[in-house]
Amino acid sequence: MIVLRRRTELGLIVVGALITAGAYALAGLGRDAEIPANIVPFLGVVLGMLVAAHVAVRRLAPDADGILLPLAGLLNGIGYVFIVRLDESQADTGRLAGLQAVWTAVGIGAFIATLLVIRRSRDLERYRYTFAALGLGLLALPLLPVIGRTINGSRIWISLGPLNFQPGEAAKIVLAIFFAGYLVERRELLALSTFRIGPLHLPDPKHLGPILLAWAVSLGVMTLQRDLGSSLLFFVLFVVMLWIATGRTTYLTIGGTLFLAGAAFAYTQFSHVRDRVEIWLDPWPVAQDAGYQIVEASFALADGGIAGTGIALGTPTRIPEVETDFIFAAIGEELGLLGATAVLCAFLLMVGAGLRIALRAESAFDTLLAAGLTTLLGVQAFIIIGGITRTLPLTGVTLPFVSYGGSSLVLNYVLLALLLRISDNSARTHGATT
Amino acid sequence: MNRQIGRLGLGLMACFLVLFVQLNRVTVLDAQRLKDHPQNNRSILRDFDAPRGTVVTADEVVVAISEPTPEGSRFERTRRYPEGDLFAHTVGWFSLNNGASGVEDTYNAELAGRTLDLSFRSLDDLFVDRERVGDVRLTLRADVQRIARDQLRDRQGSVVAIDPRTGELLALWSWPSFDPNVLAGHDFRAANDAYQLLQSDGRKPLLAKTYRERFFPGSTFKVVTAAAGLEAGAVTEQSPSYPAAREYVPPQTTRPLRNFGGSTCGGSLFEILQVSCNTAFAQMAVDLGEAPMVERAEAFGFNDVPPVDLPDPARSVFPTDFDQNLPALAQSGIGQNDVSATPLQMALVAAAVANEGRVMAPTVLAEIRDDEGEVVDDPDPQEWRRAMSGPNADVLRRAMIGVVERGTARNLAIPGMEVGGKTGTAQLGTDPPRSHAWIIGFAGPPGQPASVAVAVLVEGQQGASEQTGGQVAAPIARAVMEAVLTAQGAGG
Repeated sequence: MIVLRRRTELGLIVVGALITAGAYALAGLGRDAEIPANIVPFLGVVLGMLVAAHVAVRRLAPDADGILLPLAGLLNGIGYVFIVRLDESQADTGRLAGLQAVWTAVGIGAFIATLLVIRRSRDLERYRYTFAALGLGLLALPLLPVIGRTINGSRIWISLGPLNFQPGEAAKIVLAIFFAGYLVERRELLALSTFRIGPLHLPDPKHLGPILLAWAVSLGVMTLQRDLGSSLLFFVLFVVMLWIATGRTTYLTIGGTLFLAGAAFAYTQFSHVRDRVEIWLDPWPVAQDAGYQIVEASFALADGGIAGTGIALGTPTRIPEVETDFIFAAIGEELGLLGATAVLCAFLLMVGAGLRIALRAESAFDTLLAAGLTTLLGVQAFIIIGGITRTLPLTGVTLPFVSYGGSSLVLNYVLLALLLRISDNSARTHGATT
Repeated sequence: MNRQIGRLGLGLMACFLVLFVQLNRVTVLDAQRLKDHPQNNRSILRDFDAPRGTVVTADEVVVAISEPTPEGSRFERTRRYPEGDLFAHTVGWFSLNNGASGVEDTYNAELAGRTLDLSFRSLDDLFVDRERVGDVRLTLRADVQRIARDQLRDRQGSVVAIDPRTGELLALWSWPSFDPNVLAGHDFRAANDAYQLLQSDGRKPLLAKTYRERFFPGSTFKVVTAAAGLEAGAVTEQSPSYPAAREYVPPQTTRPLRNFGGSTCGGSLFEILQVSCNTAFAQMAVDLGEAPMVERAEAFGFNDVPPVDLPDPARSVFPTDFDQNLPALAQSGIGQNDVSATPLQMALVAAAVANEGRVMAPTVLAEIRDDEGEVVDDPDPQEWRRAMSGPNADVLRRAMIGVVERGTARNLAIPGMEVGGKTGTAQLGTDPPRSHAWIIGFAGPPGQPASVAVAVLVEGQQGASEQTGGQVAAPIARAVMEAVLTAQGAGG
């Protein structure tokens, strides 16, 4: 059984690597009508990295779920092919693609290291308050002088020598661990309703503290760092985990109300929030200006149609930030509705696998953590794809595993390793399951 | 907790379903609207470096062609317009930053080879990567266009020549023009500078005045007034006979309306048209009333955009809000007040009279050919409007021939040909007096339907006498019609 899971994983990894290499070959064909000369070494490196991760799983978490890693590898591979393709039209050709290749290797390394260091997920539970401090510290880091950097209007970067890093990416995972630990500890108390206001049954106000704190932190991130996407993500993460832990729908209601209040406050108080909403509702009056990015993304998707223009045959480089936040628009243009839907399906399958791990987890902490990490992955993909397709107001976050960006890629591999660790632990406890 | 996780799964699935639906909207349902959006210049960008068909005139002169660039250039091809300014307003230009205009715009899909007719001519095309582009052949003739340019010289004005039987445009020239080569060039800075310079020029060289600018038509509009009288049954070849007068005082006012140079005129339709009698036509318009005048002007195409296959044609205007203001109606009857027309519209008026009252839809496209020279599209002539009945059109046709034989348009006469015309002088009310000199007309071999109609406008001429149109504009119109008749005779 266990062997079967790992064999499935290896088989899927080979398929994913072949798809990636195929896309790479098509990009070459689209660009200069010949298959790139380095296609075989390319396939070798892609396969090599993923097989290294696979071997690590085989050694360190042999009973873990077998489809998450191949899906992540596929998304990473498709994203890389697009970054190479988009990078070619830039002045300093190959710089981003080279960096992304390095970050992918670092990501795989972080994946293996996480599996190595964290042998039992329960170990994490013990250090929950340490993680809380760490998470808040990471969030506050970019606000510090000297190392903090404002890039594209958001103060979410720190600069260490030549490296720029977004500590918020790590904070998401660290805070998910803290939430899981904290909520497991308090879930009984939080689930009790001691008084009611109208239709709402509320717990003791002193237990409501944390949700108000999370709300305040989200608002703080939004106002001080101007990072709407991450702010939204933190808040959704916490409310969802609270709801799962207590089983009380009341928290969704309270969370929704607080969200609306925060949104209304932000809309009236901050011009950048108001701009985002107005651009979302009607980008055309500012199509050459603030709405340029979203309008060009719409044009790109429209150009792609059902089947897409073909890799390297479209003009997605007209979209600003196309390698990072807007890479999904490039995929939509060149692979069409079909390719974009494939990416959606890959995320949906990852969400499914993540929630299955949560359901089968051996402890409440594991369940909560797995559900939280899965929510992070799924909601982040939803927020950015929703922004690009004008389903939601645009908030800049990366598309996990696909977008260019070191911090995001490395930390998503860590997230993946944590899910696999939980999966492995539960499978051992339950014995062979599937 | 498991129940919540199940619901979370359903919730996330619903979120992704919403994304999928929205994705379908953008990529499929709304795709065409987005592609056609005016802010979207992706198709131009894509086509800019792609293979592109050639544009030739009816006499096979190449007027737009894509040529390979030297090795190492930023783009593979460059678009060239060998005739320079000659077809700038009709063939237009195809540029990266300043869009496309003219035929380059209206037949972009055909030139780029994106129509279905061109894409899949045979099953082989699915497997062979061929460069399928369409070549456009125009109805415009380079030889006639050159005559128009040579005749108008450096006077601001417009020349339109059309085949009344089919609506095929034979010449569309206006000066000042410009050289489209620089706008379509790869030096974007130079292209932008040139574009800005042309845009800031007060004489509006970028504007295709033949079909995009309106002018007072002056006395040429009397043809429409006459048609209104004939169609209403109020006027025939013989009656009424308008009183000989020096001035006409419309109802509701004491301000008289005078003839040019204070002359006295009157008589039958033929007589008043020959001398372009203001008093008689003003009275005719007032006698007819508002509704028949509006109806007839609109039957000729006024107050509507002509269906010409060039971008953004202007509609010509005949007022519809007289509201019993009879002095205004009297002035409109002689082409003053708020009446305004494009040179194209006035050519259509002459063409309709010559073509039994039928206004054919004007077009510049003769045919589209594929890269093997096979014709994939040649549109049939379309009737756009019925301006008047055949018998009434014949009366008016003979009246206009009378204007050439015995009236103000004598300079239009071509020996051995049957020629009709009407002059016009639209006073601009300036001091010293200036006016637009107009002439409209048609010509053909005797006993046969006229095969060419023209409208010529020379802007802002000195003086304001009724002779101006006949002296300034008529020689240009005659030369252009002669050129067309010669070309048609040679071609059979």
